[in-house]
Amino acid sequence: MPVAPTRRRRALAGLAVAAVCLLPGCAGRAPVPTSESSGSSSAAPPTDAASRTAQGQRIEVQVAGDQVTGDTGRVTVAAGTQVTLVITSDVADEAHLHGYDIEKELTPGEPAEMTFDATIPGVFEVELHEAGTVLLTLQVS
Amino acid sequence: MTALAHGVGSRTDLPIPIGFALYGAGAAILISFAVLLLFWRTPHLGGVASGRPLPRGLQRVVDGAVFRRGLQAVALAGAVLVTVVAVAGPRDTAANLAPWVLYVTFWVGLVPASLLLGPVWRIANPLRLLHRVLRVVLPAPPGALRLPALGLWPAAVSLLAFLWLELVHPSRSEPATVAVFLVGYAVVHLALAAWFGEEWFARGEGFEVYSALVARLSPWGRRDDGRLVLRSPMSNALATPEMPGLPAVVVVLLGSTAFDGMSRTVFWQTGPGAANDIPSGTLGLAVMVALVAGLYLLGTRLSGRLADQPESIQPRRYAATVIPIVLGYTVAHYFSLLVLDGQTTWILASNPFRSPGVDLFGTYGNVVELTAVGPDAIALVQVGAIIAGHVLGVTLAHERALLSARRARASDQLPLVIVMVLFTIGGLGLLFGF
Repeated sequence: MPVAPTRRRRALAGLAVAAVCLLPGCAGRAPVPTSESSGSSSAAPPTDAASRTAQGQRIEVQVAGDQVTGDTGRVTVAAGTQVTLVITSDVADEAHLHGYDIEKELTPGEPAEMTFDATIPGVFEVELHEAGTVLLTLQVS
Repeated sequence: MTALAHGVGSRTDLPIPIGFALYGAGAAILISFAVLLLFWRTPHLGGVASGRPLPRGLQRVVDGAVFRRGLQAVALAGAVLVTVVAVAGPRDTAANLAPWVLYVTFWVGLVPASLLLGPVWRIANPLRLLHRVLRVVLPAPPGALRLPALGLWPAAVSLLAFLWLELVHPSRSEPATVAVFLVGYAVVHLALAAWFGEEWFARGEGFEVYSALVARLSPWGRRDDGRLVLRSPMSNALATPEMPGLPAVVVVLLGSTAFDGMSRTVFWQTGPGAANDIPSGTLGLAVMVALVAGLYLLGTRLSGRLADQPESIQPRRYAATVIPIVLGYTVAHYFSLLVLDGQTTWILASNPFRSPGVDLFGTYGNVVELTAVGPDAIALVQVGAIIAGHVLGVTLAHERALLSARRARASDQLPLVIVMVLFTIGGLGLLFGF
């Protein structure tokens, strides 16, 4: 289907939610638009949290204690984009991007980079192996 | 390694396009009214005595001890191998066969197998073979007389326990968890079968009951005189015995799949399920099952009241008509898991213990092809399955109403039809990821 402008998409999404919420007990909560990333940090800027550059898309997350900040939540990427995922952790761990099956050792305080072409459509987790924390979910569409 | 939602897997589906969701919802509503107002006005489908008998020779083989014990022995060998791999194989989920076999190839694969071949797990259930062996030394089952009163309630509990493990338990995909589950499941069900007798498996063993329920939409049935017959899947579904607990089984299956769908949404992952722990998952699963149960009871009882039918019998009477909706949800949520991540099973089975140089089927070097089916095809299958399940469900409910009262009014059927429409729109909404 043709790609609708984001605003119209969201309006339609709202309508669909309204229709679905005829279900009694449907949680009365506004939908979280899929193009936004929401994180535990209130400082996380909306929508274009993951900065898009001419070369591709850069996604950055920081792990400090139990807190994950930056481009957390659902981050959308257009299929075919070159993605650079930068993870900075305060403890040693291993980051794993499922599906693409890319693993990266994390050294405390040092930003670790994964660069890949987002060629497989779907929704994939980026997870810390040791801590079991899900840093973000990557939606390639 | 944790996995998004269901037991194991490397990916989940993209949200379906909004157009698919809206057209699907519109189609579901239109078709429902067409069924109510335009379809046949007198019972149309064959009953328990219908069907074209299969050759007697074939029935003798299929019902014979050699065939059944043989298949059970093969399944037992497979189950033992998977358990041994879970205990002694690679500790990393990605390299261990057991979680992939249990959650993908067996649990999801049971659906197409039963749909094509009939109640395969009733015939090949390895626990039945073990029970037969144990029976030599066991006394007569003391609880056998009390089993019929329980109906299918034990199966609902058994399925809910497995689904809780699959959808909620944080270490569900660890090989050690799978090993504990497999051994624990066998011990518990063998003990219960020792108490209640062999009939326990048909009423309390979740996988067998699930397989038999899906097989109700296969063309293979058994006539009331015991003959194996080929008949329309719709007649087959309506011939399902109206046992106590059947609604519970159907509701647990539908509610858990709905929870699986919800747990993939941004709403859940960044909202109530953000903690990704046992309390939030348990609560989410319970809420979805309770929501489905409440709607189903409301719809069937209200329809019964309008039609002057005894209300208490209604949920049981209509439970089989929800099986196609359950199946539609299941296909929509697990189709891609089976065809994409399911490839892992065949790769790992070639070298289950990661031994150097071993490659039994020549597939060990393969990589999972996650682009084998594109997102558009997946979305079409998802919406198609939900709508097809809805059409079959509404049609079956219509026929069931006509069977209960020859002149059933369309308006009496409305409450249940509205509930089915809500299930379908809710299912589409979950796929859209509202």
